[in-house]
Amino acid sequence: MNGVLVIGSGISGMSAAIRCAELGLRVTLVSPFPSERSQSVMAAGGINAVREGNGEGDTVSSHIEDTLKGGAYLAGEKEVRGLCEGSGAILEYLESVGTVFSVDENGKTAKRAFGGQSHRRTYYCGASTGKQIVSALIMEVRRFEAKGLIERRLWSCFYYALIADGTCHGALIFDEVSGKLEALYADAVIMATGGQNALFGKTTGSTQCDGYTQGKLFLQGVRLKNLEFIQYHPTTLETGQKRMLISEAARGEGGRLYYEDQGRRVYFMEEKYGNNGNLMTRDVVSREIFLAKKDVYLDVSFLGKEVIKKRIPEIMELCAKYRGIDITKEPIPVAPSVHFFMGGFAVDSFHETNIRNLFAVGECASIYHGANRLGGNSLLAAVYGGFTAAQEIAGRTGEYKHPGFDGYLDRENDLLAKKGKTASRFPVAYIRDMLAKTMQNDLGIVRDGQRLAGGIKDVDYLLETAEKIRYDSSVMPYFNYSLMGILTLARAVLTCADFRKESRGAHFRSDFPETRDGYAKPTIISYEGGKYLAGLEKEDGG
Amino acid sequence: MKVKILRQVHPGSKPYWEGFIYDGPTDISVAGMLDHLNYNDDIINDKGKATGRIGWECSCLQGVCGACAMVINGVPSLACETFLKDQGKDEITIRPLRKFPVIHDLVVDRSAIHENLKKTDIYIGEWQQGQDRDLDHQYLAAKCLKCGLCLEVCPNYADGRNFYGAVFANDCYIVSARNEKKSESIKNSYGEHFAGGCSKSLACVDVCPMKIPTLASMAKLNKKM
Repeated sequence: MNGVLVIGSGISGMSAAIRCAELGLRVTLVSPFPSERSQSVMAAGGINAVREGNGEGDTVSSHIEDTLKGGAYLAGEKEVRGLCEGSGAILEYLESVGTVFSVDENGKTAKRAFGGQSHRRTYYCGASTGKQIVSALIMEVRRFEAKGLIERRLWSCFYYALIADGTCHGALIFDEVSGKLEALYADAVIMATGGQNALFGKTTGSTQCDGYTQGKLFLQGVRLKNLEFIQYHPTTLETGQKRMLISEAARGEGGRLYYEDQGRRVYFMEEKYGNNGNLMTRDVVSREIFLAKKDVYLDVSFLGKEVIKKRIPEIMELCAKYRGIDITKEPIPVAPSVHFFMGGFAVDSFHETNIRNLFAVGECASIYHGANRLGGNSLLAAVYGGFTAAQEIAGRTGEYKHPGFDGYLDRENDLLAKKGKTASRFPVAYIRDMLAKTMQNDLGIVRDGQRLAGGIKDVDYLLETAEKIRYDSSVMPYFNYSLMGILTLARAVLTCADFRKESRGAHFRSDFPETRDGYAKPTIISYEGGKYLAGLEKEDGG
Repeated sequence: MKVKILRQVHPGSKPYWEGFIYDGPTDISVAGMLDHLNYNDDIINDKGKATGRIGWECSCLQGVCGACAMVINGVPSLACETFLKDQGKDEITIRPLRKFPVIHDLVVDRSAIHENLKKTDIYIGEWQQGQDRDLDHQYLAAKCLKCGLCLEVCPNYADGRNFYGAVFANDCYIVSARNEKKSESIKNSYGEHFAGGCSKSLACVDVCPMKIPTLASMAKLNKKM
């Protein structure tokens, strides 16, 4: 047995590693930085679960229906059923390993209401649910490190999967300290590398989630799914370093969106959708802000200092710290920003890709959220996906023989060294910047065929340029070699958005504003003979 | 604004100071400023010479991941939460954390933090509701970023060989509060690697970006000793 390789150490990666170790498998957990730096720590809201005897009439069936409906019926019923049926046990598991959940006045784990859901089922840990879960899972991983079942490898970045005859045998890893590539053989590889933020420059998420693994593996024959579905969060604040999320709680507490027209405040959401207009779903609010074509503000000042301090202190602190805005007196300038990727690796019910023994979990996999994700379902899916993949791997028997990839390793090491031995200062950051501008312009909240075609042309040009340039020798090698994968993924995302000639969930086309029956299936894209081939999913998942 | 940065190309190479002139917006954090310096066509130092891009670590850029810990004008801080306008002068000096080996420029290897927690088996195992029902305290302690700022300011922490610092004390507290059965073994490790060596300067409390009440963690653990 060569054990299991898990790439990425956020919540989904740690969940997979822990369950593998519980089932007696040896795991190598690979990431450039420790789990505290993962995007998982930024998940604030909560985790959905239906527990028996919840006393509020909530059922697993309602959770399934809410999830399928939220995803515009593109997610598989069987997979969503598994996720929702497993939610109660996952919550119990997270409690059992010591996650500090918030409790109500009776000492019972507390729940909050989230948008698009028929019942209150979102359990939370103050304003930092993701962080608290990460802290608990890190300790649990440590327990298995002590037993010798999990080995963490830091300063290590994914480079390439070792694939032969449709089977994955491990991965090439770039070690940032030694500056060399290394082959790590494994009987199964689990990708847990998060979303695709770098395609859009600065988003609400982590700079570490860049989509490289999806782009690179796509070139290696792995199929991707539903890439056109990208969730925008309607209310984010521009700061000098990134777009900061202004939580839905601000509107939940009564915050009002408006723009100014000839000195008059226009509460456009209320005018169009009535009193609850500010609390419409994320895609609707984002689209309305976009269509307003004006500077939009979120006002909470009328709630009064006391209420603001008590109910939304973290929003008050964030605006004061990063922008010097006193929200008890001033409105918050907001705009939508890329927040979550429903698309990613196409996987089956067990989280396996079309390459045997190559699995994907967490945000990098596309399985449960369909065309749009419900708040509170991403943390649930991260843990559930990790457990499911681990369970499947542990259930497989047989000795694996790995073909040699040594010649390949030497060749790639030489290539990297050669590309790096240059005085070139051609900044990769520049190309990434240009890519972000293209994606934001041509793959925004409202899309159309003409813009998408323009975007594809621009990204093709960037791909051509990137192929010729040498590496910027003063930045970390990963930043250089990841560029081609990132650009490839961007090209695939644009192709999927162009392919889906309808509007559904988070994908809105001004030239095809209606939902069309002919597109009631997920999009699958593959790379064959230098071509990006997009189509609707067939019955066998292909 | 003048910016001076202590740089180092590789783990073993010699550190050197390099100056830059920053002329971007001033209502920005040090993280934003580093991005600004790096994202020009060429990066030019204050002598007008092209130089390498400045290496630094970041992930969340909003004070919840601990990646960008560095020493800014003598104060160990998170770059994404330290603002130019609060520096009170027109010059800014940045160096990497001193208590950890440098990988590249401002990027340091903080694995000693995790190694020490691993060596001493600091994990909860199975949660048992115990006498400590102070969930607010447990919640705050679990917010620790493992950024290393508390170790940087600590007069007792050198290289993490014997004394493990506040980051260790807070994790010890969580484990003892969440699993009373482990209290006994935890207090031995805590005594050996923290209590015996702490001279209570409490600089760790002031510098913690998560405002973790380390003193309260210590008080509870000391009571168990």
